[in-house]
Amino acid sequence: MIKRFGKVYIFQLLLLFTVFLFGSAFFSTLSNSQNPLLKDVNGDALQKIIESYKGERAVLVNVWATWCAPCVEEFPELVKLQREFPEQLRVVFVSADFPDSRDRALQFLREQNVDWTTYFKTGNDQPFIEALSSTWSGALPFTKVLGKNGELVASWEQSADYEKFKQNVQTAIKQ
Amino acid sequence: MKKLYLSSIVPVLLGAVLFAFVPVANETVAELEIGAKAPMTDVPVQDVSGKMITLNEVAMENGLLVNFSCNTCPWVARWEDRYNPIAQLAKENKIGVIALNPNTAYRQKGESLQDMKERAQKSNYQFPYAIDEGSKFASAFGATRTPHIYLFNSDMELVYRGAIDDNAHSAKDVEHPYLKNAIKNLASGQTIDPQATKSLGCTIKWPED
Repeated sequence: MIKRFGKVYIFQLLLLFTVFLFGSAFFSTLSNSQNPLLKDVNGDALQKIIESYKGERAVLVNVWATWCAPCVEEFPELVKLQREFPEQLRVVFVSADFPDSRDRALQFLREQNVDWTTYFKTGNDQPFIEALSSTWSGALPFTKVLGKNGELVASWEQSADYEKFKQNVQTAIKQ
Repeated sequence: MKKLYLSSIVPVLLGAVLFAFVPVANETVAELEIGAKAPMTDVPVQDVSGKMITLNEVAMENGLLVNFSCNTCPWVARWEDRYNPIAQLAKENKIGVIALNPNTAYRQKGESLQDMKERAQKSNYQFPYAIDEGSKFASAFGATRTPHIYLFNSDMELVYRGAIDDNAHSAKDVEHPYLKNAIKNLASGQTIDPQATKSLGCTIKWPED
């Protein structure tokens, strides 16, 4: 009798353990791709997100990656800019990190005290690049500033300093 | 009434005209156009063996493949497993291959000639890897990132530029081997399509002002 109960107990324990293991893996994947701090996005979806700010705010899109030294260097300036214009501007960060570096990207966002939704590039490079800008070659970092009216104010490859960002954002806010 | 109409319409029209000319700052490098001749083909560059070579010397019967590459870019690291097989394919098709390192601002940060020598040895490069002093070649080609590919025909006219393929992460998951197809088509006299592609990559570290 005791032996039988023991077997049942061990079986139930194993079952519980398996459910826990698979369940936690599933929820971990789910929470990773849908983490509000870093959501998956492809080129088309990103375009819609940018358009959703039309008429409300100026938008600065910045494509970055943790492995990209110039991106990491300019990143704090953009966080500072978002804090300076909280109602008039949305800085849309898009991480182009490799899928296996997603956690590193999340960690970096937390370290930079980013507290609004940012995005993680998914899908092939070419359609993503073309969706963002026909003149962008694909080099990182890439920045694009859009006026409140949705019109392009400026776009550039390479890093920039705070003054350049601010100057373009101020122009964008006035539109 | 006419006066009032004119006085209101003129400023509106003037405003619209002025607004149309508000400059949009679009700072992008002009890339070498398809069909353009390879620039700086007689300018010598030093490769990791210490030899001075020119693009004309590297070119073979059917053309030349130039790859702007470097040591510190993770995208290069991901694509690097395709470097030697592509160089082999190019040589089999009588196309010369050279990699140029344009990262002038990072010569003290892993992009020196000595660093390049070590990288070429470690990765067993089967093609010359030369230093682009002052990023002059990158500037003349309109290259923006690493890796960045330029393929020329036997007349040294550009026939393909852009990405190696459509999957940096995994060679076995590549759906469109752009460069391999371009090499094969160039050698067999077939049309190259697409002639230009894009991929993400590390920005070239240009000389500091």
